[in-house]
Order: sequence, then structure tokens, then C-alpha cells
Amino acid sequence: MTQSALPLEEQHARFQTLVLPHLDRLLRFAQRRTASTGDAEDAVQDTCVKAWLSFEDLRDADKARPWLYRILRSVLSDVSEKSDRRRQLVDITRLEQAHEELIGGDTDVVFSEVAARLDSEMLARALTLIPEDFATAVELHDIDGFKYHEIAEIAGIPIGTVMSRISRGRRLLAGTIIANRRAWGLGTSDAQKPSARTRIGGDRSAQ
Amino acid sequence: MSDLHLNFGVQPNERPGDDDAREARHQVLATLLGAYADGELPPETASQIDAHLLGCARCRREVDLHAVMRECLSREPQVLASSAFRDRIMQEIADTRLPSFTPASEPRAWWQTTRVRAGAALTVMALATTVAVNQWQSAAAHAPPTSSRVDAAGVPLFATILDDYRRVMAGDLPGRARDLDAVRAAVPFPVQPLHGAGLSLLAAWSTDLRGEPAAVLAYRWHDRLVLEYLVAEPLFFRHPGIRGPIAAGQLVSAVRGAQGLLAWAAPQSGAILVGEVAPNELSALRVGDAAR
Repeated sequence: MTQSALPLEEQHARFQTLVLPHLDRLLRFAQRRTASTGDAEDAVQDTCVKAWLSFEDLRDADKARPWLYRILRSVLSDVSEKSDRRRQLVDITRLEQAHEELIGGDTDVVFSEVAARLDSEMLARALTLIPEDFATAVELHDIDGFKYHEIAEIAGIPIGTVMSRISRGRRLLAGTIIANRRAWGLGTSDAQKPSARTRIGGDRSAQ
Repeated sequence: MSDLHLNFGVQPNERPGDDDAREARHQVLATLLGAYADGELPPETASQIDAHLLGCARCRREVDLHAVMRECLSREPQVLASSAFRDRIMQEIADTRLPSFTPASEPRAWWQTTRVRAGAALTVMALATTVAVNQWQSAAAHAPPTSSRVDAAGVPLFATILDDYRRVMAGDLPGRARDLDAVRAAVPFPVQPLHGAGLSLLAAWSTDLRGEPAAVLAYRWHDRLVLEYLVAEPLFFRHPGIRGPIAAGQLVSAVRGAQGLLAWAAPQSGAILVGEVAPNELSALRVGDAAR
């Protein structure tokens, strides 16, 4: 029986069962990409209406969540054309340089200590400072808990691209955090640990 | 990724200190270390990286960085959608008709089960036909047309109007009711305010929508503000999302966020009502169009 052959009440019930449990996560994803909670709610509401109008396209109930995210991303791409979320992108080269220093052992910063002091607002800010494609791949995996193959489906890209975006996205994020640590009041352990050559976890020795 | 056959160890012809070769290998690895840290690589590739990591502190640091970043992001707090928001969505869904939905057939009535009863029913129906047809024709002439819901973002005119509506609502109304004559002179189609219970004209002004002149009438409807945009026929009928339903005798509705929109064809123009009101409520004002 096709979905449209179901009575309307059953379709409503099915929609409610498959979509409403994901509202919280959809809203959080949208909030990170819009200027206000109201705008995020509008985007999620538009997403739900679009999902309802194309509910027949959802053949596999297990794929409801990535399907909804794909629609939400499409709604948000319309919104982002009008927003200035990413107008303040930081120079990528500078972020990569900060990351290289961290990885190459040219700094005494203990990254795990800096990261532990990050609050939600700083993380959100850091995510807005790296290119959208990288930020989205990282967020979908690390915050929203999608597997790589699901992210490939949501973003419509090959899984190899998902890998490289997540890898590079996290590196750029780390570079952003290190580059902004003083401005964000995260301090630095350089002065406190002049001899420490540990960079990431604080417990590994240099080469 | 099972076709991935890479050798991350030191190459036979590589001399110690061959920085370029080592750097090139690290560049390849860089795209995989995130997936390695996330357990997303096939076992054979993961094993190769395991072996490489034993001798490469830089890549170990990179893997650690991935783990720290992932852990950090996974602590992001949950957001809870309010129950009012959930209700709003379910109401919106209830108000949105599925384009492909056709109501299931009514259950067969008792009189349809036997020929005798069907015959009796037909007799009754035949007797009632003359009266019923007259009543139906009268009712059909006054029945409100159904509306066809479209995606506001997919109809450029609606998207433009909703943007303009938000801009107008963010400030003082740009005109006054007594400007109506000036507005009439500014647009090439008739401009007649709607009439209805609880409805009063507050302001009127002309504007430009997608390069075409338009009239905007602001009404107070009980305690809500509703804007009516009147646009020239060529602009109104430009998009198939509008002209299709209109040709089928329907109204056209759309929703974006809290804003509802309802459109119909008016004399030499198209009328589009917008407000913080569901489209089915706006259709009550459409009745007022008959009075103008």
C-alpha cells in the first residue's frame, strides 16, 4: 500500500511518529545557522511542511533523520543567502598555520587544556569561522551523531569527501581555537609550562 | 574504502631527511586520520595507519587532536523544542493538504448492499433530484473555493512579498488611509479596499515588487494587522504555482514561519493577503472581496 493510499489520519500519525522525535536536533542544527531562535524555528517549520508535502518520498523509515536534515539544509541554504553568518571567515591559511604549529610541535600550548575551557558559545563561534562545508560535516558527525555514509547522503557528496571535510574541518577548528585563545580568554599555558613540548593531549612525548 | 591500498611506512628509496616525501605521505594521511579516529576506516587501512603511528609522533598528535575536538563538540548541550512549537508544527501540517492525497472512499452505506434497497434509494434520490440540484447549484455558487498550498520559497512573487511584509512590520507603516487616491493613481489596475466584519483600512501605499508597481493596503482585522498586496496581472500570473490553482478555481496559500499568505485573482490584478494568520483564517477576508 502506498503512503498516499493511507487515510489522512494515519499519514498524520506516521508523520508525527517519524518526524517529531527529531525536532530538538533539527532545531539545534538550525540555531547554529540562523540569527535567532525565531529564525531557527521558522526554518524547522518550513522543513516540516516540505517534509509533509513530500512525505511519499520517504520510503525507509530508518532514514527519516538524514532525510529531514537534507531538507533542512536546503531550507537553510535559502536563508543563508540573506544572512551574514559567514561574512567574518578567518583567513584559512592562518588557521592552517596555527594547526601546523600545534601538530608539528612548534608550540607549547596544551590543546586539550584549552579545549576543556571552551564553552558552548565559543564552540559555536569557532564553527562560524570556518567554511560552511567543513563545519557542517564536522557538526553532523560530532554533534548530531551521524555516520559518514549518512553525512554523504545528507550532503550529496562521496564518502571520501566526507572524510576529507571532517579531517580538515577539525584541523581548522583547532587552528581557530588556538588562534583566538587569548581573545576568548582561554589563556595560554606557554608561560606556565615552558618546558612542556606536549601539544594535544598533554601526555605524549615528542618524537 | 576497501580499495584503499596505501603504504604509510618509510619507502625503500626514501632517505632519512627526505622531507618532501614524508610531507607528501602526511598530506595523504591527513585526510584519513579523522576517519581513523572515528573508526570509519576498513580494518586493513586502519592497520596500516596503526603501523605508521608507531613511528610518527606528528600523526599521533593529529589523531589525538581529532579525538579532543570530537569529544569537545559532543558536549554541546541539547536544545528542546517547546511544546508550543511542536503544536504549531502539527497545526501547520494539519492545515497543509497533501497534493497527492485523495480521500479514501466512503464506507458503503447499508442501502448499497442489496438491489432492492438500492432501487428504493434510487427512487428516493430521483424524487429528490429536482430540489437537490437547485439547492446544490445555489450552494456551489456561494461555497468558498478551496486553497492550494504552495511552497512560498518556490514562488518568487510570494517570497518577495513575505520579505516586504517582514520589512514593513519591523517599522512604522509607510502610508495613511487617506493616501488611497494617490495609490490608485500610481498603479495601472483598480484598487478597492476589502470590507468585512472587524476589518478597517489603516494605511495605503504604493511600492515596487519584482520591478512592477504594486499597491499595499494595511488593515486592522480585530486586533491583528493584515497587509493586502495588489499586483498587476502579468506579475501575478507569471508563475505556474499561482496560475495553475487559479485556473482550477482555487485560492493559493503559502506559509513561511508564522506568516500565512492567501492569494486570488482580482479585477485586472492579483490580490495577496499576508498576516500572522493561518491561510484558512485569511480566507474569511477573501469573502470581503465580493463586496468590493
